[in-house]
Amino acid sequence: MADTGDPRVPSGTAVLTVDGATLRRVGARPGLARYLASLWEYRSFILFDSRSRIAGANSVNALGRVWMVLNPILDGAAYFLVFGLLLGTGRGVPNFLGYLIIGVFLFRYTSSAITAGSRSISTNLSIVRAFRFPRATLPIATNIRELMLFGPTLVVMLVLVLAIPPMEQITWRWLLLIPLLALQTLFNVGASLLLARYVARWSDLSNLIAFGTRIWLYVSAVFFSADRFADFPPMMTAMHLNPLFCVLDIARQSLLYASDADPMRWIVLAAWTAALLVVGTVVFWRAEETYGEER
Amino acid sequence: MSAEPLTPSVVVDEASMTYRVLSAEAVQPHRGLRGRVRAARGVRTTEVQALQPLSFVVGRGESVGVIGTNGSGKSTLMKLITGQMRPTTGHIYATSTPVMLGVNAALVRQVSGEDNIRLGCLAMGMSRAEAEAKRDAVVALSGLDDHALQLPLKAYSSGMAARLQFAIATSVDPDILVIDEALNTGDAQFRERTRQRLDELREQAGCVFLVSHSLSTIQEMCQRVIWIERGVLTMDGSPRAVTRGYNLYARAMAQGRTEEAQEILERKQSELVRERIAWTGGERPTGITAL
Repeated sequence: MADTGDPRVPSGTAVLTVDGATLRRVGARPGLARYLASLWEYRSFILFDSRSRIAGANSVNALGRVWMVLNPILDGAAYFLVFGLLLGTGRGVPNFLGYLIIGVFLFRYTSSAITAGSRSISTNLSIVRAFRFPRATLPIATNIRELMLFGPTLVVMLVLVLAIPPMEQITWRWLLLIPLLALQTLFNVGASLLLARYVARWSDLSNLIAFGTRIWLYVSAVFFSADRFADFPPMMTAMHLNPLFCVLDIARQSLLYASDADPMRWIVLAAWTAALLVVGTVVFWRAEETYGEER
Repeated sequence: MSAEPLTPSVVVDEASMTYRVLSAEAVQPHRGLRGRVRAARGVRTTEVQALQPLSFVVGRGESVGVIGTNGSGKSTLMKLITGQMRPTTGHIYATSTPVMLGVNAALVRQVSGEDNIRLGCLAMGMSRAEAEAKRDAVVALSGLDDHALQLPLKAYSSGMAARLQFAIATSVDPDILVIDEALNTGDAQFRERTRQRLDELREQAGCVFLVSHSLSTIQEMCQRVIWIERGVLTMDGSPRAVTRGYNLYARAMAQGRTEEAQEILERKQSELVRERIAWTGGERPTGITAL
């Protein structure tokens, strides 16, 4: 080992011989397999963290949890006014109201989950600095919380789809919503893990994420039909590769039109989800030691 | 030094720390184009060398006091030892993860005191059942009543929050313990309870670090004292010798005799025998402490 040769300590050094048999490095990042196992060991922390914060999530507003349902309804109403009535993007879309409601509700789920998930380290720095625990528990807990918050919203969405004319029938295809939401949630987790590392490092990024989700909203056929690009194949291909468009399309085909979505939608969505989960986990884990640092 | 290999609890091996901080630009006029461009961003990065490379070994059963003036790097060293931050260079090794008892044991403001207790316990790696079992002891130590426990933390006074933090942080019985000075807050009744709990913990723990400005506390509780000044390990030895050196320096500084203080500092730093770590078998430990 090279002597660091600090000029102020000319009196030399003493060599201490240490038996390292019982010693371990403090705060080091475990291997990936060990890390994933530790996430499982911290499952009660994840669950409790996500549950305890639901109560606090809306406690600053007088209407509390009602906003979880009111927000997407108001959003939907605004989009209906602007896009449905003023711009007429809904022309030729059967049951445009249902189409719009599904689009707005499901899009909001992913956008708010990814926004909250990507900030889960930067907004929980005090906990991160105080305790040593696998940090990936935080983005995961945030996503579980978002899923639980989405539960009542989902019920409202289904009720609206059933109640607003033209009324839809419940078919067996409604069950497809379960695997769809599972995939969508895993997709959110992967994206959150990937982004959380960079937001923790450069908090400026969260400004860009808000901007990015807005663009994403406009290109995901939330309030217009993707068929308007039928004459322009590259745009159509891009749309079919957009994971969120896949989610919306599957949900609409199953809930509104009682038909099977193109199997490619499932394949594209599953591919995105798998890729994001793998890349997101590895990227997040590689910076595990740095999340507690001062900035 | 003896050639016999030591079996220590904590080994600090050439650890140093340099912070890169983003700070808001000071409000002052800017000259020239570059200055103005930089000013437009409003922030700048500054490098702060908080700790120069240092090494030492702490054996099992030792209580080590850590002293130094404000901003000397004590807290940074403690954060490195507990693994909260990764040293810029060098490594920290320990037999188990050291636990910091500080005032900044995290609490979630929107959540009730009751839930914070459980959250803190689970974050320290307890199982659900263990957390449940610890709950009453934590409540008793915090001295909060049932009504207060149901309130969200933002309704707490800072004293109440500090008590709860302390109670949560001390709910584990760590083998290696780092105690932060700032714990000595709160009213007389709580201070007494704090002291009792700390005594209990110190007796159980294999090795204790105590950061304090109170030299009498240090002399009373520690068998060894480390003095860090301006990020440099300055003295390492018996409480009597180190506190005397520190007192000389602090008094000179307080009376404005900066040159004399500087001289004391340099003499002490040059007298210090720097330690270098060699590993038996030439292998550094490879494992990592459990999360």
